[in-house]
Amino acid sequence: MSIVSICAVAIVTIVLVITLRRHNQELSILISIGAAVIILLCVIEYVLTCIDSVTTILADANISAENIMILIKVIGICFLTEFTCDCTKEAGLHSLSSNISLAGKVIVLVTAMPLFTNILNVVKSLSTGDTSA
Amino acid sequence: MEVDMIFKIAAIGIIVAILNVLLVRSGREEQALLTTIAGLIVALMMIITQIGDLFTSIKNIFGL
Repeated sequence: MSIVSICAVAIVTIVLVITLRRHNQELSILISIGAAVIILLCVIEYVLTCIDSVTTILADANISAENIMILIKVIGICFLTEFTCDCTKEAGLHSLSSNISLAGKVIVLVTAMPLFTNILNVVKSLSTGDTSA
Repeated sequence: MEVDMIFKIAAIGIIVAILNVLLVRSGREEQALLTTIAGLIVALMMIITQIGDLFTSIKNIFGL
């Protein structure tokens, strides 16, 4: 799906949502969420090729596969959290939206924890190497 | 294409809004409420499959 069709879908969705907002607010929210899902579903197949090329570049740079996996997982968590956050904010539930955002941050931190421990281990080995030398 | 779904939900919304106005004018508030809820459930069932599709593809692509 090209960017022209995505913009066309977005503009048609705006008109439909504004038409329905006065009479039927629940369904207008459903229409906007449906349009977001359709646009993301059309775009997400391009992400796969992007991830493949990033993985090969990082593998050529001698970065271990575990770290690349963690990076891609964190990107996916951010993607999902951002989508849900925006949908919730649009429905007017701001506190639930910030809760989801907080949950996403915590889960990103937990997922990326092995990287922090790796860095701390490197720092520790360097400092102990310095004192021994 | 799946873009049809947006138009389907908009059509459901317009029909439900018209039915709602007609039923409220003729003094049947309970049936108007039931019509609104039925339209909401139909649209929700249509959209739930798409959301599940998006979430499973995100899960597969990012390896969550």
